[in-house]
Amino acid sequence: MQPTRCLLKGRSVWKGPHIVPLPITRPVPGQRIKPIRTQARSATILPSFVGLHFQVHNGKIYNDVTITEDMVGHKLGEFSTTRKPFVWKK
Amino acid sequence: MVITTYDGYDLQKTSLTILQVFVLGINFHPQKLVKKTLESFYSLGPQTSARIMAKYTIHPLARLGTLPVKTVTSLTAELSTMTIDNDARRIVQDNIKRLRDMGSYRGRRHAMGLPVRGQQTRNQIVTARKLNVLDRGGGDRIRGT
Repeated sequence: MQPTRCLLKGRSVWKGPHIVPLPITRPVPGQRIKPIRTQARSATILPSFVGLHFQVHNGKIYNDVTITEDMVGHKLGEFSTTRKPFVWKK
Repeated sequence: MVITTYDGYDLQKTSLTILQVFVLGINFHPQKLVKKTLESFYSLGPQTSARIMAKYTIHPLARLGTLPVKTVTSLTAELSTMTIDNDARRIVQDNIKRLRDMGSYRGRRHAMGLPVRGQQTRNQIVTARKLNVLDRGGGDRIRGT
């Protein structure tokens, strides 16, 4: 597989990965980076995101997601669950 | 003129002499179809088994007992070069494990044994319950006979 193809995951080549402009700032040494709060669940995780902290909206709250190397090529929304597990009423 | 039948008289003669046939270190009954023997290995299906049998010019309905020993050893040699059984299983399981460790939705659905690709879950999720597990393709299958 070509290195760029793993970003697409079945998407056609001419479209390229779904890139959403996100407010990613360069880390300043000595300063704590605030997590990037976003509602763009469909944004593809790019290799440059690795190690960043995101807060991904699930429709109600923002879930914390730390990007690891395996997640590249997936979407942000895959790591922020939108469903509540069903439990019987007690 | 000698008519060779693949299931019948002369097989019974051979099966008296050969009680077990070893393919890749696993013993099979000589009366088992070669096709079925190959397909009993994980990751070998109808297509791959047909290809292998065509390569060694084995009849599609041939049984293990009718094969010469030379062919059986070459079959074993062929299979030992392929990614089959536990190696193939591990590839599938590693892929599912990676999804699970990432904490992705697909991995979570695998862990719950529910449909992974957005199917309805009101009724009929029998296949998902059977297949969507973390150790997919696990368990030993009965060999031989």
